[in-house]
Amino acid sequence: MKPIVRLRGASFTYPGVHVPALHGLDFEVRHGEVIAVTGPIGAGTTTLLLVAAGFAPRLTGGTLAGERESLVARPGIVFATPWTQLTGLCHSVFAEVAFGPASHGVPRERVLAAAQRAMRQAQVEHLAEREPSTLSGGELQRVIVASALALEPDLLALDDPAAELDPAAADALYALLREVAEAGAAVLVATPDVERAAKAATRALLLERGRVVRDGTPTEVLA
Amino acid sequence: MIGYVPGDSPLHRAHPYTPLAWAGALLLVAFAVSSPAAIGAVVLAAITTAVVGRVVPSVVRPVLLLALPTWGLLLVLHGVLGPDPRIALGPLAVSQPGLTRALVLGGRITAILFAFLTVLATVSPARLVEAMTARGVPFARLYLLVSTLTLVPRMRARAAQILEAQQCRGLRLGGSPLARLRALGPLVLPLVLGALAEVDEQVLALDARGVTSGARRTPLAPPPDRAGERVLRWVLGLLVVAAYTAKFAGHGL
Repeated sequence: MKPIVRLRGASFTYPGVHVPALHGLDFEVRHGEVIAVTGPIGAGTTTLLLVAAGFAPRLTGGTLAGERESLVARPGIVFATPWTQLTGLCHSVFAEVAFGPASHGVPRERVLAAAQRAMRQAQVEHLAEREPSTLSGGELQRVIVASALALEPDLLALDDPAAELDPAAADALYALLREVAEAGAAVLVATPDVERAAKAATRALLLERGRVVRDGTPTEVLA
Repeated sequence: MIGYVPGDSPLHRAHPYTPLAWAGALLLVAFAVSSPAAIGAVVLAAITTAVVGRVVPSVVRPVLLLALPTWGLLLVLHGVLGPDPRIALGPLAVSQPGLTRALVLGGRITAILFAFLTVLATVSPARLVEAMTARGVPFARLYLLVSTLTLVPRMRARAAQILEAQQCRGLRLGGSPLARLRALGPLVLPLVLGALAEVDEQVLALDARGVTSGARRTPLAPPPDRAGERVLRWVLGLLVVAAYTAKFAGHGL
């Protein structure tokens, strides 16, 4: 199967910075993979997600050198801080989750079905009528995950998605990532939580100073 | 508080265009009339709007905070420094035409503040988005408008969090005006820098969720636009036209 994203000798530099955040990356992502991306702070894990999903340099600015081939049509992204990802326009969790597909012009019945399915997957159905701003950090993070899933992404990028979650919710999230990949999406998760990542991932990358220093099975890379 | 206050008043239930049209008509009529009595009627209509919307407690404070300094300035500028003839107002001899002018200008400002803060408090941004989406307004433009309307409550909530955090770290809010001014630094800097830092992530999240997709957004629950409300909006439009026609024909109130 053709990779959904392929980077060849890709280097990325943020605007106003001279040192590249990513150096000479050779890397492919395929449908059905859960790739755990890990490394010390400043290693470039978040930047790798942004480049792979096509947000950098399109929205961040900066320069991407090398080759990037992408078949990504519907990227989804989840950051560690859920409150920065709220639309600020929705007064219920259901509206928040349905916001994405509705904004993409998906027909109404499909929007409603996608939102319900995503809420069920992220286990936030019981919060459907709640005002998003009244939720706890953990609840809100699951709502943001549901909002990303409602887009039916072909590539889902998550940056430390369990930072706000309790251990049980974090386990459930990583199990869900596996399900999402099994349904055909590619999943990239940047995380310091190597234990959970090792259980959920099909592949792992270790980054240091913007370079991939290990790429292989989770057991090989995260051991 | 400036921002949406959930409720079940007739204004909350109305199609979002109706309170907006009402506030817009009050604004235009306030500038079409120039007698204190007519301005008084406009102010009364604006206050009635807040009463009907059941948001008087939320609206009165910001109106007073914004209008009172303006009233003070207008009364000094026009009442004290205005032209003769003068009338006795307690121990002061104030300019009669100046006082009339101050009443008209202050009344206009008060009416506009009451009307628009009531609209902000009673029109749900989400319903406004749905209503405008149903009319085919491009969503990126719409988002810019509505996120601006919701900016104040979001910044207030954020400021309250920062204030609590800084108080835990020993920030004192009381004391002399100078001490209070100094206390602004630990509040304003994290507020502005935090907002700027969050913008990056919000842009990415909203882009992924289709805000900039250019697709025509699907309205999920467009508010009903009843015939009575449509008629009311037309009547308001005609009222504005009539007020300006009378004004320019020299028969204005």
